[in-house]
Amino acid sequence: MSTANINSPIRILVGIGNAGVAVLDRIAVEHPGLKGLLVINNDSESISASVVASRIAFPAGDMADGFLAIEEEFGASIRGAASVVFCGGLGGEIGSFLLPALAARAKADGITTLASVGIPFAFEGRQKRESAAAALGKLYDLCDAVAVIDNDRLAGGVPSTAAVGEAFAAADRILQFSLLALQGMLSTYGPVKITRNDLASVLGVQGAMTHFGHGQAQGANRLHEALEEALRSPLLKLPGKGSALKQATTALLLLRGPSDLSFAEVQRAVCEVERIAGDRCQIKVGVHAEAPAEASLEIFLMSSSGGAIRPKGKYVEEPPSIASRSEAPAQKAEDIPTTQKSDSSKAKPAKMNPVKQTQGVLDLESYQRGRFDKSEPTIVAGQDLDIPTFIRKGIKLASPHRN
Amino acid sequence: MANDQIFVGLEIGTTKICVIVAEGRSDGTISILGVGETPSRGVRKGEIVDLATVSECVREALLDAEDKTNVEIGNVWVAITGSHLRGFNNRGIFILPEERDVIIEEDLQTVEVNAKEVSLPSANTFLHTIIQSYHVDGNENVLSPIDMVGSRLEADFHIVHGVKNRIQNTLRCLESLKLGIEDVVLSSLASALVVLTQQQKDLGALVVDMGGGTTDYLVYLDGAVRHSGVLAVGGDHITSDISIGLRLPIARAELLKIQEGSAIDPVDSRGGGITLKNDPGFLGCEIDRRSLDTIIHLRIREIFELIRLDIESTGKGVLGMMGAGVMITGGCARLRDIATVAEDVFELPVQLTRAKDVGGATQTFENPQFSTAIGLAKYAMAVSANIPEESLLQKMAHGLGGLFRRSSR
Repeated sequence: MSTANINSPIRILVGIGNAGVAVLDRIAVEHPGLKGLLVINNDSESISASVVASRIAFPAGDMADGFLAIEEEFGASIRGAASVVFCGGLGGEIGSFLLPALAARAKADGITTLASVGIPFAFEGRQKRESAAAALGKLYDLCDAVAVIDNDRLAGGVPSTAAVGEAFAAADRILQFSLLALQGMLSTYGPVKITRNDLASVLGVQGAMTHFGHGQAQGANRLHEALEEALRSPLLKLPGKGSALKQATTALLLLRGPSDLSFAEVQRAVCEVERIAGDRCQIKVGVHAEAPAEASLEIFLMSSSGGAIRPKGKYVEEPPSIASRSEAPAQKAEDIPTTQKSDSSKAKPAKMNPVKQTQGVLDLESYQRGRFDKSEPTIVAGQDLDIPTFIRKGIKLASPHRN
Repeated sequence: MANDQIFVGLEIGTTKICVIVAEGRSDGTISILGVGETPSRGVRKGEIVDLATVSECVREALLDAEDKTNVEIGNVWVAITGSHLRGFNNRGIFILPEERDVIIEEDLQTVEVNAKEVSLPSANTFLHTIIQSYHVDGNENVLSPIDMVGSRLEADFHIVHGVKNRIQNTLRCLESLKLGIEDVVLSSLASALVVLTQQQKDLGALVVDMGGGTTDYLVYLDGAVRHSGVLAVGGDHITSDISIGLRLPIARAELLKIQEGSAIDPVDSRGGGITLKNDPGFLGCEIDRRSLDTIIHLRIREIFELIRLDIESTGKGVLGMMGAGVMITGGCARLRDIATVAEDVFELPVQLTRAKDVGGATQTFENPQFSTAIGLAKYAMAVSANIPEESLLQKMAHGLGGLFRRSSR
């Protein structure tokens, strides 16, 4: 099947493999007007059932031959694009091979290349994770920025009794979300831009996990509601540690919405993110405010954590998500999977690692309206007066000493 | 005691509901017979959010007042507040018919109606039309134009309006108790009646009534109301800020505010720690006094700064014309060092004040929390007194709280 026809939009989203097709199908359904979607898969059933208009069927057989067969068609599909965002799961044959190969092809054309990729669940086996780590290493070398979603981050969000299908669906949703967040960051062409370098500073750290937050709201209290939704996002949490922003050294904050977005609103959003992230985190801000006044305000937050302490290529031996979970006080030693052992030659065969439910940490910091949370907001001069003045002014207080 | 000289003021506040039973005296002062009071539930930021609960609280307060005064309460004067209330100034004009050149009482009513010929939001209704001054054929600031010769009558009014449904919720609450409602009065107007003297009104003054859910303010210049406003921020916000900032339960934060709270600038804070003891369900802790002072100071300063900005938006130099300065009343007036912050923000002399020219239960009128409710009784006395029009207008000329008219609803 060869139906690619994208009419050279500025940005192209490419879904690769079953996960990539599922994510782009969902995006196509939820955003019917969105152009520049392309799916590539070697599963003929999946590709023919896809609702995405532009599809490339990857031929069965040898991967290198298959790549040569579709390379020209792919090249034509992305011709004239300013950026390409790849999306898919690593670890499988198509994802691990094709994602780096196509990224290299796009990069060779001088196109800004980004990727949002999923790392297999631990229970999918060590071999898959090793394959994913190798592919990820290549992507870091090829792409301008790589957002990495470790499926095991779902540990706290999916019940241990959930069906395997549900876990994969949840992983797809996260991947979809990360793709939209990346797309949101890229689409900034307003008065304050997030540059490719900004993206690279957050997403260019090898081995780092990417954290996302997204919120959307309308009306007089739009900033507060959108920001709260973004800050409450489960993808912006570290297990047992609260907001991932606290661990970040750089974070991206994008405000996208109506043309009447005020300077005070932007300032408040930055202050609030700064307050949560702390002094050592650098906030890079993008503002794109050209939509009609009735449009919703969207807030995207992105940060990464954990990459700096990991040597390149050691992902499987010391996967970030597992390391972070092992630091959680509630985690017992026997819960740590065998893949954590540093000497991979001595590692036992991967066994099924039941996804443990962990007790969530209620993030009180985004809950700032206190007893007025359910009241009609008091908005004066663009400020929500129900939020304590010291928070809006970014004043830090001494914590009480508990007896 | 003739029943028609008994006035009952009801204030449905965010933190308390209080009923003042007062007796009007012939010298224009009032004597408080007793106060019924109950903690408020179902009120947020001065507005009713749970009608049934509020009705129950009002009933308790009424029974309490009846028990204490032995007066059977049938009718009340009710205070109203909320962020939906707005005030503006407008001038009404009336050209006298050619066959007549003497101004009569009906002309005053016509000019008032003309002043209200403004386009309000469809959901809003008029609450007060408060006369500021009359002008006859260009002769400014005529106190009583009746019987004067002229062809063109003009009048300036301060007009207060609000969302009809929200006002009606208060009325429905009282109707469910089979209670007669004499009138609905803007809270700050009622407070100003008892905390300001006529001289202060003439000199120019700002009354700030800081309650639990709202901060109401009113500006008097040249003896007349020039501006009014309601900020839906009050003592509850300070409590909430403390609760969030110091991670304390609301009840504990409220107690801390009352016992240790100060609006002092944190730079001048005496610092140190405040030990909170263990309570059932609460693990004791030591909090930093400077942090507490910071939380309160920033909130209080912000409230005053917003009021200042709002007043200044009505005209340049308005604040400078307030010879009598700023009067702070309401529950928050008891917060330590609040006057210092107000002086700093408004750059005017500031007084913490309470009801004046009031007799009776001392503890009541000395408490600034009751200024609004006592003011309702005074408003009621001024409006309800069977005073001939001439006398009323004479009093207006001397300004006896009289620069208002009954609400037009």
